[in-house]
Amino acid sequence: MVDDDKIQKLKERIDTAETTNFTPPKQKKQSGAGFGFKISTEIIAALVVGVGIGLIVDKYLGTKPFGLIIFFIFGAIAGFLNVYRVMRRIEKQ
Amino acid sequence: MAAKDSPLKQFEIVPYSNTELGSYDISFTNSSLSMVITVAVITLFLTLTVNPRSIIPSRMQLISELMYNFIAQLLSDTVGDNGKKYFPFVFSLFMFVLIGNMVGMVPYQFTFTSHIIVTFALAAVVFIGVTILGFVNHGIKFFTFFYIPGVPFYMHPLLIPIEVISYLSRPISLSVRLFANMLAGHTLLKVFAGFVVAMPFFTGALPLAFIVALTGLEILIAFLQAYVFAILTCLYINDAYHLH
Repeated sequence: MVDDDKIQKLKERIDTAETTNFTPPKQKKQSGAGFGFKISTEIIAALVVGVGIGLIVDKYLGTKPFGLIIFFIFGAIAGFLNVYRVMRRIEKQ
Repeated sequence: MAAKDSPLKQFEIVPYSNTELGSYDISFTNSSLSMVITVAVITLFLTLTVNPRSIIPSRMQLISELMYNFIAQLLSDTVGDNGKKYFPFVFSLFMFVLIGNMVGMVPYQFTFTSHIIVTFALAAVVFIGVTILGFVNHGIKFFTFFYIPGVPFYMHPLLIPIEVISYLSRPISLSVRLFANMLAGHTLLKVFAGFVVAMPFFTGALPLAFIVALTGLEILIAFLQAYVFAILTCLYINDAYHLH
């Protein structure tokens, strides 16, 4: 069982904590390295998928090197699209 | 440098048993042991700290409740009311990655999140789950996710493959981010630990001080990456509900 005395004490402590001038810690800005890392993984991931699809297309359709070239470019554009979306999401916050 | 002193030796998989199921190797390894420890720590910590159910929570109970609130808040912020039923999944994922990273910070302990296959398996579960969710919610209309409205019709042959690649790259970027962060951090720690021994006289204290600072940073990264994993899962679940 919880005794009322304890709750009363806690209430007082909360009140004093709230009334004392408490400034919330400033939101720490993300480090440059972490940010760069985030962006680079987005580009790399899209390129990996693009190149992978390109290689598969080449293998099964026999269109070597064109599938790779085209899907590499698609992958690169998709990478930039991902970066753009990440940036827009960060800006919203 | 001899192979046994390599900073990458810590990522080596050591099997404790030789078990085979059909043609698959399902040996119990140091990675499996690490995961078992992680699950045990999570289960014991959450059940034991919440067990007293006191109105005035102890510090430990407060930590458990804080974690619960953190993910519940995250889900309601990103997904909204639909998000409540995914709480067990996101919370398990978050705790597994977080405690897995933290267990990895213990010296001599294996870090299973530093293996791409582990993080990729986690990301693949999220990716496949979210795709199925999208089809369940929208049926065949889910494919309009790749269709951007308000674009001239002749642009679609270009844009749809780009959208599809962008969608398929999600599990890769999700897994690579976690894996690379943990791999880089732990390798860096080992490399600087090597400097402590190699540097002459008392100058070894410098890299030692650096390691102490770096360990703090690593704990921050361990938390941050678990948070990123959880928030991206939430955003993907949200995408499965609201196309565009």
